[in-house]
Amino acid sequence: MKINTYDMLRSIGLAFLMAISLISCDGILKVDPRQSIDGFDALNTPENMEAALNSPYARLRAVSAYGRNLTAFGDALADNGLATNNSGRLFNETRNQAYSHYTHWTNFYFGINELNLFLEAIPGIQGTPEVPTATKNRWEGEAKFLRALFYFDLIKAYAYMPGVTVPELDKGGIPLVLEGVKTTDIEKALNRQPARSSVDQVYAQIYSDLVDAIRLLNDSRGIQFASQTAAKALFSRVALYNRDWGKAAELSNEALASTRGKLLEGEDYIAGWRLSVHPESIFDLRFENVSESNGANESIQATYTTIRNLENTNQIGGWGDFIPNPVFVNLIGISVTGAGPSLTISDRGGDVRAFQYEVGPGRVANGSGRRMECIKFASKNGFAFGDNIPLIRKSEMLLNRMEAYFHLGQEDLALIDLNFLKNARGLEEVTLEGETLLAEILLERRKELAFEGHRFFDLKRYGRDIIKQQGNVPFSDFRILANIPQAEVDGNKNLDQNAGY
Amino acid sequence: MRKFLLIKSILVLIYSAAFGQDRIVSGTVISAEDGFAMPGVTVMVKGTMIGTATDLDGKYSLSVPENNNVLVFRLIGSVLHEALVENRSNINISMKPDTKSLEEFVVTGYSVQPKREVTGAVSSVKGELIENLPMQSFDRALQGRAAGVHVSSANGLPGGAVNIRIRGTGSIKAGNEPLYVVDGVQINSRDDATFTQSNPLAFLNTNDIESIEILKDAASAAIYGSLAANGVVIITTKKGKPGKAQIRFNAFMGSSQPLKFLEVYNSQEWYQLRKDAWTNTGSPIAAPNTLNNMGILPTNWQSLSPEQLDAVAAGLSTYDWQKQMIGSGSLKNYELSISGGDERTLFRISGSYNFQESTFKPVDFERGTLSISLSHQVNPRLRVENNLNISTFGQNIPFATSGSFLGNPAFSSSLILPHNAIYNEDGSFNTNIGGVFNQNIAMVNAYNSGSQRTNTMVGNLAANYQILENMTFRSMVGLDYRLVQGDQFRDPRTPDGSGVRGRASTQSNWNVNFITTQTLNWFKTFAIDHTLSVLGGVEYRSETNEGLSGSAIGFPSFEFRTIQSGATPESISGFWSGYRRIGSFASVNYDFRKKYMLTLTGRYDGSSRFGMDTQYGFFPSVRVGWYVKEEPFLRNSDVVSDLKIRASYGRTGNDQIGNFSARGLYGAAGNYAGAGGIRPVGLENRNLSWEINQSANFGMDFGLLSNKLIGSLDLFHRKSQDLLLDLPVIATNGFTSVTTNVGELVNKGIEFELTTINLERGSFKWSTSFNYTYIENEITKLYGGNMFLPSDPSIAVGHSLGTHYTQQYAGVNPATGRPMWYDANGNITYQPVAADRKYLGNSLPSHYGGFQNAFYFKGFEAIVFFNYEYGRVIADGQYNSLRENGTRLTTNALREVADRRWTTPGQITDIPRPYAGGPEVRSVNMNTGSAVLLKADYIRLKQLTLAYNFKPELIRGLGLSNVRVFAQGINLWTYTDYPGYDPEFLGAATGIIPQTKNFTLGIQAGF
Repeated sequence: MKINTYDMLRSIGLAFLMAISLISCDGILKVDPRQSIDGFDALNTPENMEAALNSPYARLRAVSAYGRNLTAFGDALADNGLATNNSGRLFNETRNQAYSHYTHWTNFYFGINELNLFLEAIPGIQGTPEVPTATKNRWEGEAKFLRALFYFDLIKAYAYMPGVTVPELDKGGIPLVLEGVKTTDIEKALNRQPARSSVDQVYAQIYSDLVDAIRLLNDSRGIQFASQTAAKALFSRVALYNRDWGKAAELSNEALASTRGKLLEGEDYIAGWRLSVHPESIFDLRFENVSESNGANESIQATYTTIRNLENTNQIGGWGDFIPNPVFVNLIGISVTGAGPSLTISDRGGDVRAFQYEVGPGRVANGSGRRMECIKFASKNGFAFGDNIPLIRKSEMLLNRMEAYFHLGQEDLALIDLNFLKNARGLEEVTLEGETLLAEILLERRKELAFEGHRFFDLKRYGRDIIKQQGNVPFSDFRILANIPQAEVDGNKNLDQNAGY
Repeated sequence: MRKFLLIKSILVLIYSAAFGQDRIVSGTVISAEDGFAMPGVTVMVKGTMIGTATDLDGKYSLSVPENNNVLVFRLIGSVLHEALVENRSNINISMKPDTKSLEEFVVTGYSVQPKREVTGAVSSVKGELIENLPMQSFDRALQGRAAGVHVSSANGLPGGAVNIRIRGTGSIKAGNEPLYVVDGVQINSRDDATFTQSNPLAFLNTNDIESIEILKDAASAAIYGSLAANGVVIITTKKGKPGKAQIRFNAFMGSSQPLKFLEVYNSQEWYQLRKDAWTNTGSPIAAPNTLNNMGILPTNWQSLSPEQLDAVAAGLSTYDWQKQMIGSGSLKNYELSISGGDERTLFRISGSYNFQESTFKPVDFERGTLSISLSHQVNPRLRVENNLNISTFGQNIPFATSGSFLGNPAFSSSLILPHNAIYNEDGSFNTNIGGVFNQNIAMVNAYNSGSQRTNTMVGNLAANYQILENMTFRSMVGLDYRLVQGDQFRDPRTPDGSGVRGRASTQSNWNVNFITTQTLNWFKTFAIDHTLSVLGGVEYRSETNEGLSGSAIGFPSFEFRTIQSGATPESISGFWSGYRRIGSFASVNYDFRKKYMLTLTGRYDGSSRFGMDTQYGFFPSVRVGWYVKEEPFLRNSDVVSDLKIRASYGRTGNDQIGNFSARGLYGAAGNYAGAGGIRPVGLENRNLSWEINQSANFGMDFGLLSNKLIGSLDLFHRKSQDLLLDLPVIATNGFTSVTTNVGELVNKGIEFELTTINLERGSFKWSTSFNYTYIENEITKLYGGNMFLPSDPSIAVGHSLGTHYTQQYAGVNPATGRPMWYDANGNITYQPVAADRKYLGNSLPSHYGGFQNAFYFKGFEAIVFFNYEYGRVIADGQYNSLRENGTRLTTNALREVADRRWTTPGQITDIPRPYAGGPEVRSVNMNTGSAVLLKADYIRLKQLTLAYNFKPELIRGLGLSNVRVFAQGINLWTYTDYPGYDPEFLGAATGIIPQTKNFTLGIQAGF
């Protein structure tokens, strides 16, 4: 009996030992996720680097970015259109309501952090076989192009253009961060509080990134990725905004000389807008499949038109929340008859760009009936609400160059470019000089790039007032600048909110 | 491998016992009450592990070693009997019933205690109380049954979600669900269904439940450590009892009826309302505009006079879409169980079938269950047990479970304009629907389809080994396995499917939850007066959850409805997640003469969910009790028949956060141009830890007048600290937020339970049970000195969770009919702004409970049960949509509201004049701010049961031992001012399928 008790106690001990071993065993509580990887060494293989570089491109598709706001607000905040209030979207932006402005701050700073981490990871990257220098150069070039694009899109919305400011409202540029915050660096994430750099400092950084991108990139990758020509084209726009006319002329010249993107004329131009990738594109934002679409409510197609399918313009698709106003319809040369259910286009005039506007069925139950709508983005990819968006087109290079020529005093060259474009669009040549020439150049720019997000900035960089039926917005008004997200100002004591907000 | 070793060591235990033998003693055990033989009585040789149990005839026989001289006879419910052997070889015993041990036993986490020794706050709900209710999950049946336990139905979907809060809401961002333990297996109560709500707790047939114990105070729950902050609900299923096998058949059937219909305007009333709305805008063509909105404007309208236009409207019919979409459903339930056993083996097997339709077609619930409970005494020391609950249930899904979807019948049927016909004259669906609802919801719901299926297995296998007379080892392994599958088809003949020529979606979700618990129990009495018992254990739990889903579009025709028929795959997705938890725990119970009781518990717990530096934590508790009734001054009192005072204090944790919230990760996101992308998705917080609940409880249990009146009173203070909040990170640093343990809140309240026997005369008995809870919630700390959360200012220090932070409504300007609000300075404004918001009312109830009366007379029974809530202020999305009077959208209006609208200057009312197209110029939406806040107080007749038990002598000839027939009604009557479908609703309440009234007839028969 004693022996039995002893055996029993021994067994209990053994059982508990086994049980305790469960606890003491190292790693019993180690469970790793399977659909994500640890951040501290995520950027450790060439494959992961390629994947990490896709993410900032994808950020451009967001509704806050070119997926809608950066494409539509440039016209909504300016003077090209009106809001139908079909879904209520863009209604306040079109009325320039305070706080109804650009919202890409968060998205693009997240992208900048990803790019900073990516750039820091390039030198240490290991691979078997070794990663070729050409690949590393391409990574660095694309990352710097994207960082330049993010900073440029931020500063153009949240700060004044170089040299064209309202001094009493001017709070400077935007925070310039070039060092990444790692997923393990909670201290830096909670404590780094960068102040706004000056506008010039930010432009200098954008210049420097673009110079590197042009040096490191070539044109071998697809049109949906950064390339040398895309970097030159973006540089030409940046220089134009910076009133650096020589640089703008030089780079638009180089971009025009490239084979990337083809300047279209006449019927080809009309057809170009129906192709999934616009032939004029120098850099084209890709929406690959339905899951990447911004959907039936917020996509650029849904925003601009109620037409679902151009083969049957009576089939209702999107909301058609933002449409051209009568002033613009008139500028583009379209004449209409009737109103409401009987609205029809009677004449499109000679300008081929008039074919980018069509009468849509409207949303009768919600507000508007048939209205004139922009159909630059009308399901051209083959699935609804997922149009690819040309971020830089060849025509813009021509417009950039003629404007730069004008300011460089080379009015003759400017006029040649202007008439070349007018011819290509089916308009009569003109003979102008001085301010009337500049006015004509800017008018062509307005017509050519309408509903592509340029107009607001083209007014802003000239310090011009916005004249619109919904109520004029003088350049001196605080609503010219976007409000920085309040949480950002609350969390960063060194960051000044824009005046008036 | 580890598990194998564990099992091996248990086997070692089993085979290491041996016995000596000397003389044979036998005899019979009978009941002192009636003289019948008593089977299943344990007979042990005192001081050894030698023993046996009596057989069906009450006989036993065992060998007693020479140097042992005392036999111990033990049976639950009888007084322990000791007999001296001396030279006898035949010892017959008559056992007396133990009135003390007939009192309730309460399951209190890894152990069972007599209720009189419980020193924490534990509510116990016996299975018979919730028997035969037409409710698919036991959580719903708990409503109003226990103080401190708030239960509300999120909706009326059979098998849908139920919201349980034990002693209030203790967390802001982490989960608030209690831990559910079924027969020792901790189960996962997360709803994994995509297409409808599938409450995982619906796997269990409520009639298989023996009892439900709710551990409310932290001290009682602390033995469950980091899982226990929101309380623990312990479910014990029915087990076999020794004796003749009992066969029970149980059936009921009945119908589900709508709780109410919303009374909406007819076609002419709506025409007038909208015409007023157009007139108020100054429109000169109000009548044509109105007819145009209704989609019935004659093309020659310009040539028609106002009278002729009105005549168009006057000739319209009114169609009742609610009556079309909401009807009665059927319900039925059948069960058969057999249970019994002998001295060694106990068993119970039961099977059930349950079917219930909602009042909205095709929503239903159909379940089959099989429950098996076996236990076998291998030898006097070793007892093995097995419990197995297997269940499958299917649900036909609604178009949507909630929300303002045009196809959602619960949303649309009251809002669609009433002049729209449902069918064309030829019987086909009318597809020409005027107004914002441009689809025929009857057609949409007839053509779309889908179902959700849930297969569950919850079971355990346990071995109990009595090492010494006063020491037992128990080893248990358990599994909670669940597969949830669903599919949905959007028919190409309906608006949601037409653009894509049909869309089929499918989902599968697996949940595998493994648990093993090893415990050792030991007790000893010292010097007669001091009793000490100790429980120690270790537990390991691992859970994995994975899923697959996909959808396809482009179907040949509506007859092809499953995903493989789609021409184009639209999406395909999956996920994997999991966590592990390990803990060791101990509990020490001490009592002095059963008068003074002390319990100390502690648990050391680790979880993979938390930060690298904080994975382990310690959760202690202390409970003390004083059984006053045993004191000399009360022992002989006739008035006070029972009195116990108790106090407890404990610490528990809440680990209900994401499995990988503490990790700094790169996730797959940001695909571009057909290639996968990755990006940082979170910051690592090495210090992320559980939320801690520290709760103090002070209570008393009392019985008066020979326990004709028994009850308990509890005061509690539950402080939840280290609450997880998202600390914002500025975007320039690349992240949104990082979760940290910073907040604090307090729940405090009073709980009162009372059961009385009011009258007991002859065969008539009337008893009443009543419970009441008062609870207060207050946020006491947020992060960084913030007085409110910047991301959600309604979460503010000094206020309750669920507080409404909005603008205060000032009614309608009697002169103009425009809605007004108060601004921050208390002045009237037409355009309130964010700065005008105030803290107004709170959506958590502060008073709630239940009230039951039961009457018995000669086999007749009547049970009347009410539950009630007071102090809740909520906004009802469905009511709000109707409250707009069709001004913003062309939707119908509630008669009660629309009749109240301002029409003439000087009129005092709260409903502004209608204004077509939405808010008036320089005004805001009439539903802004507190204008839509409603009081959701109610008293509901939850259950009314009338039953008759046949006299045994009448049915004995049929081979039956008992027969009970009953008629039952659920949710029969509600006293409330609430204008929406149901005051119990949670959340936005837009388009939610309401609860139903149920009528059932049933029979229970025993053989």
